Amino acid sequence: MTGFHRARRTVYAALTPVFVLGLAACAGFPDTIFGAHSEIGRTEDRLTYLLLILGGLVFVLVEGALIWALIKFRSKPNATTPKQTHGNTTLEITWTLIPAVILAVIAVPSVRTIFETQAAAAAGSLQVDVIGHQWWWEFRYPQYKITTANELYLPVGRTASFTLRTDDVIHSFWIPQLAGKRDVVHKERPNYLWFTPDSAGAWNGFCAEYCGTSHSNMRFRVFTVSPEQFAAWVKHQQTGPAFPATAATPQPDTSKKGATPAPSPAATATLASDTNTATYPRDQLPTWTVPATPLPADEHFDESTIAKADPARGAQIFKTAACIGCHTIQGVSPGIIGPNLTHVGSRTTIGAGLYPNDMKHLTMWIKDARLMKPGSIMPPMGKGLPEAMGAFDDQQIADLAAYLSSLK
Amino acid sequence: MATTVAAPSVTGKAHKYESGIWSWLATTDHKRIGQLYMYTAIAWFVIGGIEALFIRSQLYGPNGRLVSADTYNQLFTMHGTTMIFMAIMPLSAAFFNLLIPLQIGARDVAFPRLNAFSYWVFLAGSVFMNVSWLIHAAPDGGWFAYAPLNTRQFNPGVNMDFWVIGLQILGLSSLAAGFNFVTTIINMRAPGMHFMRMPVFTWAAFVTQFLIILAFPIITVAVTFLLFDRFFGTNFYEIAAGADPLLWQHLFWLFGHPEVYILILPAFGLVSEVLPTFSRKPLFGYPVMVYSLILIAFLGFGVWAHHMFAVGMGPVADSIFSVTTMLIAIPTGVKIFNWLGTMWGGNLSFKTPMLFGIGLVGLFTIGGISGVMHSSPPSDLMQTDSYFIVAHFHYVLFGGSMMGLFAGVYYYFPKMTGRMMSEPLGKWHFWLTFIGMNLAFFPMHFAGLNGMPRRIWSYDANQGWDFDNHLSTYGAFIIAFATAIFLYNFLRSRGHGALAGNNPWDAPTIEWSMPSPPPDYNYAKIPTVTSRYPMWPQQGPTPLSPPVPTAGGDQPLPTYQTAEQLGIHMPTPTIKPLLATMGLTLAFVGLIWHRQIPIILLGGAIFIVSLYAWVLTPLEPEH
Repeated sequence: MTGFHRARRTVYAALTPVFVLGLAACAGFPDTIFGAHSEIGRTEDRLTYLLLILGGLVFVLVEGALIWALIKFRSKPNATTPKQTHGNTTLEITWTLIPAVILAVIAVPSVRTIFETQAAAAAGSLQVDVIGHQWWWEFRYPQYKITTANELYLPVGRTASFTLRTDDVIHSFWIPQLAGKRDVVHKERPNYLWFTPDSAGAWNGFCAEYCGTSHSNMRFRVFTVSPEQFAAWVKHQQTGPAFPATAATPQPDTSKKGATPAPSPAATATLASDTNTATYPRDQLPTWTVPATPLPADEHFDESTIAKADPARGAQIFKTAACIGCHTIQGVSPGIIGPNLTHVGSRTTIGAGLYPNDMKHLTMWIKDARLMKPGSIMPPMGKGLPEAMGAFDDQQIADLAAYLSSLK
Repeated sequence: MATTVAAPSVTGKAHKYESGIWSWLATTDHKRIGQLYMYTAIAWFVIGGIEALFIRSQLYGPNGRLVSADTYNQLFTMHGTTMIFMAIMPLSAAFFNLLIPLQIGARDVAFPRLNAFSYWVFLAGSVFMNVSWLIHAAPDGGWFAYAPLNTRQFNPGVNMDFWVIGLQILGLSSLAAGFNFVTTIINMRAPGMHFMRMPVFTWAAFVTQFLIILAFPIITVAVTFLLFDRFFGTNFYEIAAGADPLLWQHLFWLFGHPEVYILILPAFGLVSEVLPTFSRKPLFGYPVMVYSLILIAFLGFGVWAHHMFAVGMGPVADSIFSVTTMLIAIPTGVKIFNWLGTMWGGNLSFKTPMLFGIGLVGLFTIGGISGVMHSSPPSDLMQTDSYFIVAHFHYVLFGGSMMGLFAGVYYYFPKMTGRMMSEPLGKWHFWLTFIGMNLAFFPMHFAGLNGMPRRIWSYDANQGWDFDNHLSTYGAFIIAFATAIFLYNFLRSRGHGALAGNNPWDAPTIEWSMPSPPPDYNYAKIPTVTSRYPMWPQQGPTPLSPPVPTAGGDQPLPTYQTAEQLGIHMPTPTIKPLLATMGLTLAFVGLIWHRQIPIILLGGAIFIVSLYAWVLTPLEPEH
């Protein structure tokens, strides 16, 4: 066994230069599987390197022999009839055995790695319940009683142990820079995945199993942060919504059509206090985590309407609108069909990684989510739109967006 | 209509089927049916290719908006379904039909009318599924149609109804043909045609038929469950009623992996015919080539769950399926090495069929190597459902199956039509296809390793995938251009190609002993076979491949004595298999079109009456 381990170490030592090359290559390839940032990802990578090297060797030998044969044995005008060989038992046994040996070299570490990576996660791991929905991700931290969506925070150096369930069809949970994927198959019987992130950063996650119309729009972000930052994030997420809807002063004129009063002082204060240190700093987001999804051609929202948005009015609208049927805001609404919005303003994207989370996109999203994201289950809220569930004018929508943005 | 069908056919009536459109509708001649398969398969190959061009144009750059997400999902579903079930399988079936009776020295297949039925059912199934495009409701659940996305709950439209029923119809065609060819090969070999003298293509076809016979019932069951779920409210895949979505995956891949070999083995067989002819040497290690075919087919039933390493089967199942998958690489590798051994020491002449044959050896190897990479589950978790897989199976199916089938088309076109395809155009076709396919599919390896998931309608900017996708799109259009050259060459050469003569390539197997195109009765006298390569002298063929014929493009094909003149009894043409197919299809149309019970009953009645009329009609004219 020790001899075997030594052999294994030698192989891995030999792979190190390639590993370094792989790391160098990931500049410009933010979602590459190479140079993974967790022990599980690196274990999987090591096997991939072994396979690439052996595969590359076979490729060079076979294609080399083929090209050599094509050049050397091309027909020449004065050729004689070639020797009519019908086979060669020794040769044929040899080239049956050589692949068998190569495959054994692959099979042994493969099987060992299967058992290593599918062992139970270490005690004291951070538990994360992942629930796949068409087409967004729900993340729950049962140890901290936090529910959020489409953005994962993980502390560096602590094993994150995922329990994967689906609410509807099969999805697949994949963060290429952190670990291999795991399908999200059942509603009750979960799948498991664990890994320990070892460097801080922002990573892209994808749904890797075709799950219907917006499969391509089922992305998520993972922020690996220091344990201190993680603790701060947890504390922040455990508090109630940043804009206490119950405390907001009712605005008597919101019900009047066309009434567009100036934003209330409370709202201005909330918008100004945009100094949330618990979440990943937006100005440090790498470019590949900032969505560049173009707006649908026939979608627009008036900038001046957004300028007049009032979160206090938005809070009132939210409480009485269809929103509460699907979305939870702690202390405000109990809906569980859509993402939990208690701290929606603290997220960097909306629509499962599809658009930046700003007033411009949020207003359009509320107005007509289906135009923004094909197949979205959330019905349009804008007045007069087909299949609309709400009948809000643009100002009301801007107010709602301002309210949600304020929920840092 | 039904009463007309039931009327007993009069013997003399056969004359009206001798020429024109009726001669095709009523044919039971395996060579004509083979040509029908070939034309239809090439047409679907073009349509599947157009779908691919839409896909590639949509993915050319980030955030593409050429087609909508729903249309894109229909496009990739139908591209896969079309290429697998309507292009590659029927193109293989074209060669089964054209070649098996010729290669074993028979006059026709065992059940000529069942053979016609297989073709018509295939045509009906493929048209049925594609009619969905006309109402913009093409199947959109992927060619693998995973549960529960394929159920009414998550796919309420008619899209997957078309897929379910279309696949059911197509499966009937394959099964009927499978039993037919197995019977033919076992029972109708000419005197002296021992199993170990059979041409390797016929061997590959033989093994493939067993795969079809054993694998298609599984998908038939899986699809029947789904059909019952969707139409009659059963709960095989309804998760709301407690169904396990993995049932579908196991059933589908238990069919789906043998299906991979159904797609590749016929191409292996064709290349095993082409390489010896143009190397001027017999196939290296014939027995091992045959055993490896059988071994691949056998092991092919024990590896299905390697498509499911990410679903959470647990470490034991993952390990077992990993090792069985690695095992299958051994007989596959042996085939590659034996093809190299065939060329080694030969006098290689690079005619178009040979170029495509070499293309298979070189390109399938790449797909084989990446295949071994997926066999290691921990590594596969990084690869599966990414573009790396898309690269892998296009090397296998385009670099392997299509290259082999193109080799077969160029090689057997002279036997099929009596005329040669243009060599210069053939070489243009090969080189553009070779460049285009590598440009299209090799960068997909990098896109996949750099994290690009499969089946995505659109991807964001700044992911590092743009360049790979640009290249893939250019490659796809080069393949399209190459295919246009092929189509021109194929269609024009039918009437204007140089006269081929019996054996333009100086090939070794017995089908080359008969005139091109063969008369409807094939061999005027059934040959007696004494060796594997009866057309080559004992000491070996002439050192060099003969020059490709270039003369006689303006001359008519030679004519032969008819079967009557020679006193040979051939099956009478009949349109009853076509009528039976129409009845069957009508019943399914009634099912999908608002479940019209009267239409379903009418279709069923036509089907049953046609079957009775078919069975009661004598196979050969009374005399």
